[in-house]
Amino acid sequence: MSEGPLAGIRVFDMTLAMVGPWCAMNLGAMGADVIHIEPPQPRTMPGADRPGGGVPPSINGTSIGYISWNMNKRGLTLDMKSQEDRANAYELLKTCDVFLMNMRPDVAGRLGVDYETLSKINPGIVYCTVTGWGQDGPMRELPGADGQINHFTGMSTTNGVEGATEGELYRHSTQMDASTGNYATQAILLALVGRKRTGKGQRIDISMLRATTHLQSARIGEYLARKTINPGLGSAAQVVAPDRAFETGDTRQVAVAATSEAEWATFCDVVGMPELKTDPRFATNADRVDHRSELHAILEPRFKEFPLDYWVLQFRRNKLPYGWPMRWDELRYHEQVRANGYINLVPSNAFWGEVWTGGAPYHFSKTPTTWFTTPEIGEHNEDILRELAAGRGAATPAPAKQEA
Amino acid sequence: MTGPLFGYKVVELAEGVGGPYAAMQMGDAGADVVKVERAEGDRARGWGSKTAGDYGITFLVLNRNKRGVSVDLSTQAGVDAVKKLTDSADVVIHDEGWSDHPDLSVDAIMARNPQAVVLNISEFGPEGPLAEYPPYGELGAQMASEAIMSLGVPGQPPVRIGVDLGTMYSGIYGLSATCAALIARDRVGGQRVDVSPFGTLIAMRSTLWAALSNPDEWWGFHLDSYMKPPDMGYHTKDGAVSFTLGRMTREQRDELYKDFQMEWVKDDPMFQLVDTDPAGSGSRYGWKVKPVWEKAFSKFSTAEVLEIGRRHGATTFEKNNYAQMVEHPQVKHVGMVTTVEQPGLGPVGQLIPPWDFSETPAEIRLPAPRLGEHNAEVLGA
Repeated sequence: MSEGPLAGIRVFDMTLAMVGPWCAMNLGAMGADVIHIEPPQPRTMPGADRPGGGVPPSINGTSIGYISWNMNKRGLTLDMKSQEDRANAYELLKTCDVFLMNMRPDVAGRLGVDYETLSKINPGIVYCTVTGWGQDGPMRELPGADGQINHFTGMSTTNGVEGATEGELYRHSTQMDASTGNYATQAILLALVGRKRTGKGQRIDISMLRATTHLQSARIGEYLARKTINPGLGSAAQVVAPDRAFETGDTRQVAVAATSEAEWATFCDVVGMPELKTDPRFATNADRVDHRSELHAILEPRFKEFPLDYWVLQFRRNKLPYGWPMRWDELRYHEQVRANGYINLVPSNAFWGEVWTGGAPYHFSKTPTTWFTTPEIGEHNEDILRELAAGRGAATPAPAKQEA
Repeated sequence: MTGPLFGYKVVELAEGVGGPYAAMQMGDAGADVVKVERAEGDRARGWGSKTAGDYGITFLVLNRNKRGVSVDLSTQAGVDAVKKLTDSADVVIHDEGWSDHPDLSVDAIMARNPQAVVLNISEFGPEGPLAEYPPYGELGAQMASEAIMSLGVPGQPPVRIGVDLGTMYSGIYGLSATCAALIARDRVGGQRVDVSPFGTLIAMRSTLWAALSNPDEWWGFHLDSYMKPPDMGYHTKDGAVSFTLGRMTREQRDELYKDFQMEWVKDDPMFQLVDTDPAGSGSRYGWKVKPVWEKAFSKFSTAEVLEIGRRHGATTFEKNNYAQMVEHPQVKHVGMVTTVEQPGLGPVGQLIPPWDFSETPAEIRLPAPRLGEHNAEVLGA
């Protein structure tokens, strides 16, 4: 058994594409026994002969999507349309704590895994479904995917070069999928904590629409308060100033900010302009936001006087927020990244070799996380069916109470 | 019915976005959350614009469902009050900006209350040379994690992700990890949990890191080539839409071309490349034929593009700004936007919690506290 915080929790991961797999992968990182279910004939897209293939790029024909969204799991194939496999699924579900699915609302009933059925088999089950737009409403039947959600929710209108009147898409288009998956992870874990008190499972619905707008809570709140749409601000923050990137003397960029009045006073000293402290235009953060252009015009030439390394040293020494742009080859070997295990090189199998991926972004002082490679389709069929036959893991509702 | 965290006591020693968001979500989920502020208050109270009338909206929408106390940490009485709160808490949400006082560091809190789960948030992570930086700098983490490479144009000034992505992620992951530690508490007791904006932003780009792992062919992940120009959506006569062909049949595609009066593209070699690429219009070729689509869409309204596109199997949605989004029929139907009565200010618009629980519903019970509003009630002083 794992040593992670979720040791003893078992997840029936009946998911595809990204949102669901990503959520379950995180439960696996925290030590849950995640069993990823695939049909015996893997879903493929044109041109693919390996599982999850088709969405490029691929490694030896398998989409990097399948590889990088299904780590920390065991693999089981089940044909939910066959009586025998469905009976096995129900036996397995008796031993599970979590059921997760991200297919359209009507699919669960057809495959015999609707909440009514599963909660009778296992009343302790935390049953989570993820949809694009919600279980109800005029768009409930429509598919949802990352870039479209990004544009639909207004997220793209918060990004833009200075003065732009229409926002641009955040092009790393798995962020909305992964964000939704993260909110599903939250909900499942909240329900598992709640189960310690109620002793019962429950049903959870997550939609990409509500999850990804929640990520934008502050920006949407600001819109609702004043009903205006901002033009693009480049690298500047909407509600804090100074808080943007400046070009340095060696034509690089440094991100700097003063997020409180105390930091602003320090900031003025660090840039060698103590006179700004008493300038009424810049008296408070709200004043600085309202006089942002004037402030930027004063600071821009100043930052060009010294190279990036000078500013990094100054801001670091004075404990002010700062940052500098790193690219992949600097990032993956950076001392800070390695010290925290934020990037992993995961050994896999003969097909995929070693795969780079983000590490677990949460660190536990007593219950270490794990990160291991994606299973091949059905890789653990024999193990799991043997465990079932041996009657291992009878229904595990709430973990037994023990005082440490 | 009450939320899943009903009965849990949470104390927040945090500011800005990440810690307060995690704590607010715990409040939404039913926990009893006490937010502790220094005499000068959470810095986010001052975030906003005077002329725009922002009055600290970021603060108000990230601090509901909490009671608030203010303490003077320069006095022993102030420090003792915080110690007393953390000594009886199930969870302490703590950020690195609160480590200055020796009695309020994570280690000191855990030494006094070994059953507590202490979530600590730092900018770059708990280990390494940058371990001690407070987590209030959003852009620094966005740049250092290379997250902003997916905006703007290489060589031009950087474009920020307007949503506070790194600090929000630290709160989102922080809450999940805190819950996991609560689940493990029966087994191992309390423990320390660490997250950071930098680390969470790196984790969220895992797909790209995998795409860089000796792929069969490299031109970026299909939805995020570094070489692609900024994407403002597909312009129509009166707005913009997202538009993806998806898995359509040859016949559906031909009908689609016909209805958009662009049948000639059937014989265009670049369109044929898009058609045969499994990533479709999200592929490396998709953006190259985008001007052709936009020329066709310029004769149609957004409503018409959605109707024609969906009729033939394309995946297409409005590109909204916030004004359009909050008025959209689906958003209205879901009831996503609500108002919270803020004493002295009136109703403040915000979003309902993102989770639907059948047995333990989340709910909004309290507006964000005024500075020190609950001192008497909570501290008895």
